[in-house]
Amino acid sequence: MQIFWITLSAALAIAIPALATAWAQSRIGPAAAASLAEKPELSTTVIVMLAIPETMSILGFVVAMFIMLRAGG
Amino acid sequence: MIRTMRRVRVMGPRPALQSALRVLQDLGSVHLASPPRLPALNPSPATRREQRLVRQLRTLVADAETAGALLSVLPAPPIAAVPERAPWAAWARQARRLRRSAEEIRDRKHVLEEERALLARYREMLDAFSGLFEAGHIPASARAYHIILRPGQSAVVEPLRQALAEALDSAYELRTRTLSSGETALLLLVPVARTARVERLLAESGVQEVPLPAGYERATAAEVLPRMRLRLQALPALIDEVESERKARAATAAAELPPMLAAAQDTISRLEAEGLAASTRSAFVIEGWIPAPDLPPLRTALRERIGPEITVEELPSGQDLDAPVVLQNPKLFRPFQLLVEMMPLPTYGSIDPTPFVAVFFPVFFGLMLGDVGYGLVLLALGVLLHRRSRPETPLRAIAQIAVICSMFTILFGVLFGELFGDVGRHLFGLRPLVLDREEPKDIVSFLILCVGIGGVHVLLGLVLGVFNAFHGHRKQALGRGLSAVMILLIVVALLAAVRLLPHQLLTPAVIILLVAFPVLVVAEGIVAPVELLATMGNILSYARIMALGTASVMLAVVANRLAGALGSVVVGAIFALLFHLVNFALGLFSPTVHALRLHYVEFFGRFYSPGGVRYRPFTHWRTH
Repeated sequence: MQIFWITLSAALAIAIPALATAWAQSRIGPAAAASLAEKPELSTTVIVMLAIPETMSILGFVVAMFIMLRAGG
Repeated sequence: MIRTMRRVRVMGPRPALQSALRVLQDLGSVHLASPPRLPALNPSPATRREQRLVRQLRTLVADAETAGALLSVLPAPPIAAVPERAPWAAWARQARRLRRSAEEIRDRKHVLEEERALLARYREMLDAFSGLFEAGHIPASARAYHIILRPGQSAVVEPLRQALAEALDSAYELRTRTLSSGETALLLLVPVARTARVERLLAESGVQEVPLPAGYERATAAEVLPRMRLRLQALPALIDEVESERKARAATAAAELPPMLAAAQDTISRLEAEGLAASTRSAFVIEGWIPAPDLPPLRTALRERIGPEITVEELPSGQDLDAPVVLQNPKLFRPFQLLVEMMPLPTYGSIDPTPFVAVFFPVFFGLMLGDVGYGLVLLALGVLLHRRSRPETPLRAIAQIAVICSMFTILFGVLFGELFGDVGRHLFGLRPLVLDREEPKDIVSFLILCVGIGGVHVLLGLVLGVFNAFHGHRKQALGRGLSAVMILLIVVALLAAVRLLPHQLLTPAVIILLVAFPVLVVAEGIVAPVELLATMGNILSYARIMALGTASVMLAVVANRLAGALGSVVVGAIFALLFHLVNFALGLFSPTVHALRLHYVEFFGRFYSPGGVRYRPFTHWRTH
């Protein structure tokens, strides 16, 4: 039973931030496309803006890894 | 580093203005500035004649560029000498003629190609029913309808057949054939007297007759096919003829266009430069910025080509807020200027981050991808791109960055013992020298290493921020310095708390932190604590290096396991190869974007002051 909760926790630790990232990027994407249509020179800023919400997923991944590693140890 | 610029003022007798501008344009090193604001000096607005000339030249340039694009005339090398007095009227007529001729050739080719595509579509349909036409089965009293149904639309055939049977009994013939495109061709023959009813039925079924191409409407179906075949045979030769004509015209244009384009562009920029000069009744003044080493050659050229009446005065520094920025770095670092120039340029007098980007970017990239196999593939791609690119172009810089990043990828691949994931271990006995990114205990060490590198990177940013702010904003410099010290102290306190450093260090570190905190608030305001927390968050953000690196190696291992898991070795190998390809593509994109982000957000955010003006010297027109 314990393994179930550990696995579920690790899955939630990555899944919830991933959903949040997806939502944030879904809002940034159209705005970025609209900005690029008017000012193509903003492409670098747009790439960085799109990479910013990914921090949530990456930190979620780190937390999930820790949960799994702790359980393994 | 940012190249040192000198503000210069060129003065001389008014009639020598044009000659002085020609010298400046030939030298191509002065970035012209706004007209100087001095008493008794008036701006030099363009005369009506000059305004008209600029308008005419712009039309000439537009005509010449359109003609060049339509005729696919390749860019020519820069023109060495531009005539003093160009035959503008004749050149304008010539450019207009070339443009019209190019448009006419384009239109003619377009019409022929469209006709070929249309006839090819018809021919396939008529070929499908050729037996019927050629055997003379179609009576003169019959009307033929040609219909093409898109793929998936063929379900309408049976209802249409039933509707026709009800309306016409058996007085119709409906044949269907499937074409190579997946479309369905229908040939419907009905008595001429019943066409009105049939057309209503067709409209109700939602299908439309494909009308015969122009010129074939009055011919019978039996006559159309041979005529179309003949025309289709003739069309390629006609298209080739038009293409030959285009090539001949392009050869002429390649000789005619560059001189007129160069002369027109140079004259436009010279007339615009005149607007940046100021003058009295008898003298002119031009101001601008020039790289320091180019100043003596400017003085010499003006004196030799015009005379001693032209003076060049170097203005005192201090008012260099609008000085243009030129980044100048050693050859090894130069490709990374591209990454810095993707952001707004740094202001003149601030720090050029290129050398730091050149050191840290490949390290971050290598840490994330870290695989000998992927590194070798990237090296091959980089070398290929290097060979196919011209010097001093963005593509060449990308190739050089790729080669440098590939070397770091190989280096970290050796340290991590990875060659296409774990293939190296199984086939060549490759062993990790530092960290095994597949081992859980080493993943934690890898995370600590990444966050540690992040700490160094962010601290370096803070130190650079102190240097940047030192000349203008002493208080801000103090705040940045204190932030750096406090971050160091927090790290020391944390390490002492977990006994990685002597435990005795904990109390002094905490006491200094408590003392430094109010000083920080006084120096940087109430937002300072928030800034400090944000800085700590920035350091933690470097955990992405570990996350992306681990994801990359896991995907590579999964790809290798696919090879043995699918039963068939061949199918498994193909799947594994595809998986590695996907992983390699991700491995190029993600580390690039995230290494850039770590620089632009975490590192530049500590010291970078954007807003520099790009250096655009007044020079001759170049084709590239």
